[in-house]
Amino acid sequence: MRNVSKVAGRASAIAVACMLSWQAPAQAPDPNTAADENPPVENCNTTADTGQDPHNPGKRVATPIDSKLLSLGQPCQQVVNTKGLTTDALANMQRGFDFYSWLTFIALNSPAEGKAIGHGPRPGGDAVTKWEALSNYRPLAAVMLEKGARPTWGTRIVPELCKPLDGPGKIVLQLGEAAWNQPFKTGPLIDQNGNYALFDILINKPMFDFVVNNGLYSKQGQERFDSDVKFPLGANPEGSEPGRMGAVMLKVSWHILDPDKDKVVIKQFHTADALIYFPGPPATKTGPACVAKTLGLIGFHIGHKTRFAPQWVWSSFEHVRNAPNEKQVATKNLHPPYTFYNAACPRCASNNTPPSPWDPPASLKFHSNDKSQVIRSTILPEAVASEVDDLNRSFRNLLKGTVWENYMLITTQWPSNNESKTDCNGAPMPTFLANTTLETYSQGRVPLASSSCMACHGNATTRHVPAAASDFTFILEKAQCENDVCGPPPTNNSVANIKRCGLADPPE
Amino acid sequence: MIDFTRRKVLGVAAGTMASAIGAVQLAEPAAADDAADLDLFVRLSAALTGIDALQLAPLRDPLQIKRVYFKQAKSDPAFESLMQIVRANPDDPAGAAGKIMNDPDPKIKYLGRSIILAWYLGAWYQPTVLAQTPPPSSVVPLKIISPTAYTQAWAWRVAQAHPMGYSELRFGYWSDEPLPIDDFVKLKGA
Repeated sequence: MRNVSKVAGRASAIAVACMLSWQAPAQAPDPNTAADENPPVENCNTTADTGQDPHNPGKRVATPIDSKLLSLGQPCQQVVNTKGLTTDALANMQRGFDFYSWLTFIALNSPAEGKAIGHGPRPGGDAVTKWEALSNYRPLAAVMLEKGARPTWGTRIVPELCKPLDGPGKIVLQLGEAAWNQPFKTGPLIDQNGNYALFDILINKPMFDFVVNNGLYSKQGQERFDSDVKFPLGANPEGSEPGRMGAVMLKVSWHILDPDKDKVVIKQFHTADALIYFPGPPATKTGPACVAKTLGLIGFHIGHKTRFAPQWVWSSFEHVRNAPNEKQVATKNLHPPYTFYNAACPRCASNNTPPSPWDPPASLKFHSNDKSQVIRSTILPEAVASEVDDLNRSFRNLLKGTVWENYMLITTQWPSNNESKTDCNGAPMPTFLANTTLETYSQGRVPLASSSCMACHGNATTRHVPAAASDFTFILEKAQCENDVCGPPPTNNSVANIKRCGLADPPE
Repeated sequence: MIDFTRRKVLGVAAGTMASAIGAVQLAEPAAADDAADLDLFVRLSAALTGIDALQLAPLRDPLQIKRVYFKQAKSDPAFESLMQIVRANPDDPAGAAGKIMNDPDPKIKYLGRSIILAWYLGAWYQPTVLAQTPPPSSVVPLKIISPTAYTQAWAWRVAQAHPMGYSELRFGYWSDEPLPIDDFVKLKGA
């Protein structure tokens, strides 16, 4: 006879053990670096997705998704629990991370001037967001400067060619290959108007300061740096220790909007007036040139290094009109227009890279009539997809009437075993995650070949010779040679020793 | 019976990697009876493989490879008979494993061996082929169970290694000393 009660008892014990192990200290913020690079944050948003039921201490209830959540600030760290709305510890934690992602999205996309999200001066409550303000985030092109020069926080760099087009509130998007070509050089993304989608990477001040203070902004600086690259951790306040934000990096995707031709759909997007700079060879085949465009936000990645997640927490958002999913296509449940899918062409090959040449001209129009026909592949476990759908419904309803109601979370990838010694990616949960605008051509569920934030970024290195792990960021690979002189690599005197996950001094 | 020396197991692992890899199937939620059987299957697997059950099926388990192997084993006609032995010994998986490995019915006995091979090699070896007498000089698996199974085969970790083309270690790890065996695998009861 089956002993179901014993099995259930064991499951309960396992759930408790799981919660305890998750709360065990894994990697404390380093107080020595924290003072300079990771300053205290007074208002860490510590809201959890669930709380204890006041009428039933053994039960947890969902935190109301209401207007209070719109002005609580950015989480310094996830607050997750193995106990929650279901009996599945992993599902409860996943919901906690997804809730954290929405809180982070709301905080970052609130107006830079300080109001709550959706209360900006533009139609739909749009505004220049916090992450677009140079006081909060800095584009990668303004970190890894020509000739390996030392960057300065807060300064706005406007190329000479762009100055005649400059004006208040304009962002500068400097192109390199990574601004139009997808990871692993899998190709550009072309919208249904025939324009290139554009990508940019930004980092916050703690991450910037770590780069600058350690000289990692030049190739030679990285060669001189002989310690482990360990960006600062975000952490909630605990006891007398204040909260700290830690390193945050963003990758955003844009599509070009014409204020006249696209006037019906433009109000559904967060927009930015951009100066798009082509530096010329070798960075771009075109240029030097500068063009002014209105851009609509279509994708938003957040990577945040936090306590219990030294492999970072990876949140991915998209505009709801990017592309239909496989099920919608199969059942013809389509809601056009889509930015990257032609509903009138069901036989168009989907998720194919466009024909070469790929380098964009200054018009940012693709050279042929080929347009991306994107379909969102089914890659998430059904339970995760369903949980995220529910959360999206609630948060989008909360943002109704603003441009932000048109954005959705894809999901959050996080390390389910952050202390693993042999899986340096920390057993990512879920295993795969792709954004249709940023990983269009690598959607799937094949290990290593398909998109996984952590499995991919875990391979990132510095320009040190021999290569050293760069703590889950590819930004260090963009560092240039000091004064354009790339000397021979230094002699490596290091000897083989035991390293765990590329670190001589791993977190304990 | 096929013997499972480390050299042979690794040799077979390398040989099977070139085989076709089937499509991923996400785990379906198990029914209540299935959930109880799944738990027993994991404990039996720990007894059969010698690897701690919490390593085969971690508490926080995004991959859920246990479900993949459970589903594969369940497709065998002798699975129900095998599970009857396990259900009769719910608190003694080692005893159940011993009975299975010495069962007079070759369908049950060799299904037990197929389950061991699944965990170690990520490949499905048909019990009927393993049971052939005289034993075949080499056994070709029916299939690699899934792409995830390819990456999770325990033979690699027992060898402090990783499957070809897939590593979860950091770039440059090959210039460092290998991690200790205890970092890779925890034996049952250790």
